[in-house]
Amino acid sequence: MTSNHGSKDMTVDVLIIGAGASGAAAAASLSEAGFKVKCLEQGFWQDPSKYASASADYDFEMLTNWSVDPNKRQLDEDYPINIDNSPVTPVMFNGVGGSTILWTAHTPRFHPSDFRVKTLDGVADDWPLTYEDIEDYYDRNDEVMGCSGINGDPANPPRKPRQMPPLPIGSDGIRLINAFEKLDWHWWPSDNYINSEPYGEGRDACNFCGHVHMGCFKRAKASTDLTYWPLALNNGAVIETGARVRRVTTNSSGIATGADYVDAKGVERHQPARSVVMAANGIGTARLLLLSKSDSHPDGLANSSGLVGKNLMFHPFAMITGVFPEKMKTWQGPLSNFAMSQEFYETDESRGFVRGYTYQFQRSLGPGWVANGGFTNAIPWGDSHHEELEKRLGSMMAIAVIGDDLPELHNSVELDPDLTDSDGVPAPRINYTLSQNSRDLLDHGIKNATKVFETAGATDIYVDPLMRQSGWHLMGTARMGEDSSNSVVDKWGQAHDVDNLFIIDGSVFVTGAAVNPTPTIQALALRTADYIIANRTDLRG
Amino acid sequence: MASQHSRLLEAIMDRMIPAVGDLPSAGQMGLIDEIVELAAKQKRFEDLFHSAITAFESKNPDFLTSSESVQDENLKTFELNTPEHFNTIRTIVYIVYYKDSRVHKRIGWDGQPPQPQGYEMDPWDESVLENARKREPFWRKV
Ligand SMILES: Cc1cc2nc3c(=O)[nH]c(=O)nc-3n(C[C@H](O)[C@H](O)[C@H](O)COP(=O)(O)OP(=O)(O)OC[C@H]3O[C@@H](n4cnc5c(N)ncnc54)[C@H](O)[C@@H]3O)c2cc1C
Repeated sequence: MTSNHGSKDMTVDVLIIGAGASGAAAAASLSEAGFKVKCLEQGFWQDPSKYASASADYDFEMLTNWSVDPNKRQLDEDYPINIDNSPVTPVMFNGVGGSTILWTAHTPRFHPSDFRVKTLDGVADDWPLTYEDIEDYYDRNDEVMGCSGINGDPANPPRKPRQMPPLPIGSDGIRLINAFEKLDWHWWPSDNYINSEPYGEGRDACNFCGHVHMGCFKRAKASTDLTYWPLALNNGAVIETGARVRRVTTNSSGIATGADYVDAKGVERHQPARSVVMAANGIGTARLLLLSKSDSHPDGLANSSGLVGKNLMFHPFAMITGVFPEKMKTWQGPLSNFAMSQEFYETDESRGFVRGYTYQFQRSLGPGWVANGGFTNAIPWGDSHHEELEKRLGSMMAIAVIGDDLPELHNSVELDPDLTDSDGVPAPRINYTLSQNSRDLLDHGIKNATKVFETAGATDIYVDPLMRQSGWHLMGTARMGEDSSNSVVDKWGQAHDVDNLFIIDGSVFVTGAAVNPTPTIQALALRTADYIIANRTDLRG
Repeated sequence: MASQHSRLLEAIMDRMIPAVGDLPSAGQMGLIDEIVELAAKQKRFEDLFHSAITAFESKNPDFLTSSESVQDENLKTFELNTPEHFNTIRTIVYIVYYKDSRVHKRIGWDGQPPQPQGYEMDPWDESVLENARKREPFWRKV
C-alpha cells in the first residue's frame, strides 16, 4: 500500500531521481536559486574511511563487494542487468555520488567537432547545441569538482587555467611519452578531477595509491558526495537514500506529478513534485521511463518518438598491455589516465573509418591484480608462474583505445521480462553490437598502440580487442534534438512530450565523442538547471 | 569446507603455484582456511567457489591419487571446458597467495594495502612538455 505522502506541503518544486554526477550538479544550482529540491536515491552515503583500498583484502573486494559491475557486486541497492545480448558489461555505482564513487575521474572535454558529426562527416546527427554553448558550464563544473591539468594542449581549444597542476607523470609515464614523441604523435597530461594538491572542503591531495576505482580514501578524487552535494544540502536540498523509484507518475493530461518509490524500510511511497528531473544514468533513466507507462504515455514516459532506450552508446574500448624489461613501480600513481593522446581523434577517411579515438595511458597495480591478469589474461599457472609474475610486476603498462560511439537503433535498453531488482522492479536488458566502424577504429588503435609499445621497448604485448567490463559510459538512450519525432528531449533537456520532465544524464547524448563523458554530462546538467531557473518560475511553490 | 575438498584444493594449488626458492608449493603453505574465510565475504563468490570445487571433484574423482602430469591435464581440461569455475578457483588462490607475507618477502613487495599510506612520486615537472608544446594546434575547427 502506498503511504499517504500526497498532502500539499510535501510537494517539492523539483524531484531529482538519482544522486550521481548529474543529479548532484543540478541539485546544487536549483537549490541555490531557491527551488525546493528533493532527490530520491536508491543507494546510500559512503564513508571514505571505509573504502576497501585500506583493507588487506582489497584485491578480493575489488572483484566482489566493490566490483564496478553491479551484477558482481550484488548489493541490495544495485539492480541486475541482463547482459546476454551484449559483449560489453555496463558498470556503475548506486549511491550518493553515483558512479563518481568508483570513476577514474579522467575529465577531457568534447571537441567542437563532436557536436557536428553529421555536418562534418555525414554520419549520425548533429547536436542541437555547440561547444561554445556549454563552454562556460564546463568551466563552472571544473571549479566545483577541481581539475588537475595544464593549458596549451594543441589537440583541444584553448581554455581557462585548471585549478591545479597535472598529476605527476612518473618514470613509467615518461617511457610511454618518449615513444609517442619518437613517433611524432600527440600526447598531453590528462585532465583529471583528482587533486594534485589539496582543493575543496576537507579534500586532500592524491597519495598515488593507484586504486582510484574503489572509492577515494583520501577524498582526493572528486565524487559528487564530496563536491556538489554538500553545497546542495547547505542550500536546503534534501536527499532521501535507500529510496528506489518504481515509476514517475503523471496526471490525466500526461504531466509529471512526482514518483512512486519504495523507501529504505520497504514502505511504498509517493513523492509529489511540480517537476521531475531524471538523473539515473543512461541505463537507469531509460529503465524508469519505460516503467512509467500510463494512459497518456502508453509506450513509456516521453516516448512518443519510440526512442527511449534506443541508441545506447558505451564507447568502444580496447586495451593493449605492454611488459617492459625494467622495473618501474608501475603500481604507483592513479591506475588510469595520467596522460592521453588525441593524434587520431578527428576523422581522416584514408583510415577507413569515420570519427576517431583517444589513447589513455594506464598503469598497473600490485601482485594479486597482476597475477590475475590486470587488463589482460591471468598469468599462467604451473611451471612458468613465478617467472611470469616476476616479469610483469612493476613492469606492466597499458594503453586504452576509447573510440567515438555512433548511435544505432538496435543498441538498446529494454525491460527484461523476468529479471527484477530486490524490490521486484523489472530490471533492464541490454542489446549491443559493435558496429563495423567501431571495429575498424579499434583495430587501427590497436595497431598503433602496438607500435608505441614496440617503440618504447616492451618485450611482451597483449591485446584485448574489446574489453568486456568497459561499459562505464552510458549514453544516448533519450537523445536530445530539435525534432520531437526524432528525439526525446530538446536542447535544454526538457522532454518534448512532458513539459515538466527534464533529463540531465548521459541519456541525452546525440553521439558519444571519443572522450569520457562526465564533464559534458555535468555541464549539460548545469545548463538545464539554469534554463529551469530562468524560464520555469511556474515550477516554484 | 569438507576435508576432502580441502585436500583437493591443496592438490590443485600445488599444481597451480609450484615451490620456489625457500617457499613450498602453494597447497603446502596452510592457506586453505584463509581462502574459505575470504570467499565467504561475498555470497555470490562463495557459492561460485564451492560449486567450482564440487564440479572439479565430480569431473576428476581420481585427482588426488593421479600423477602430476595427469593432474595438469585434468586442470587444463577443466580450464578449457568450464572457464568460469576454473577462474573462480584460480582467482582466489592467486589473491590469497599474493596476500601472504612470506610471498611478499620473496618478491620484494611491501605488503601494505594501498591506503592509508599510498606511495610517493616525484612531483609534476613541466619540462616534460618541452616537445609537446612545440606542436601547432590541430583540433578541427567547426
Ligand atoms: C569504474 C568507472 C570508471 C569511470 N571513469 C570515468 C572517467 O574517468 N571519466 C568520466 O568522465 N566518466 C567515468 N565514468 C563514468 C561516470 O561515472 C558517469 O558518466 C557519471 O557518473 C554519470 O553520471 P549520472 O548522473 O548520469 O549517473 P550516475 O553517476 O551513475 O548516478 C545515477 C544515480 O541514480 C541512481 N538511481 C538509478 N535508478 C534509480 C532508481 N530507480 N531509484 C533511485 N535512484 C536510482 C543510482 O543509484 C545512481 O546513484 C566511470 C564510471 C565507472 C563505473
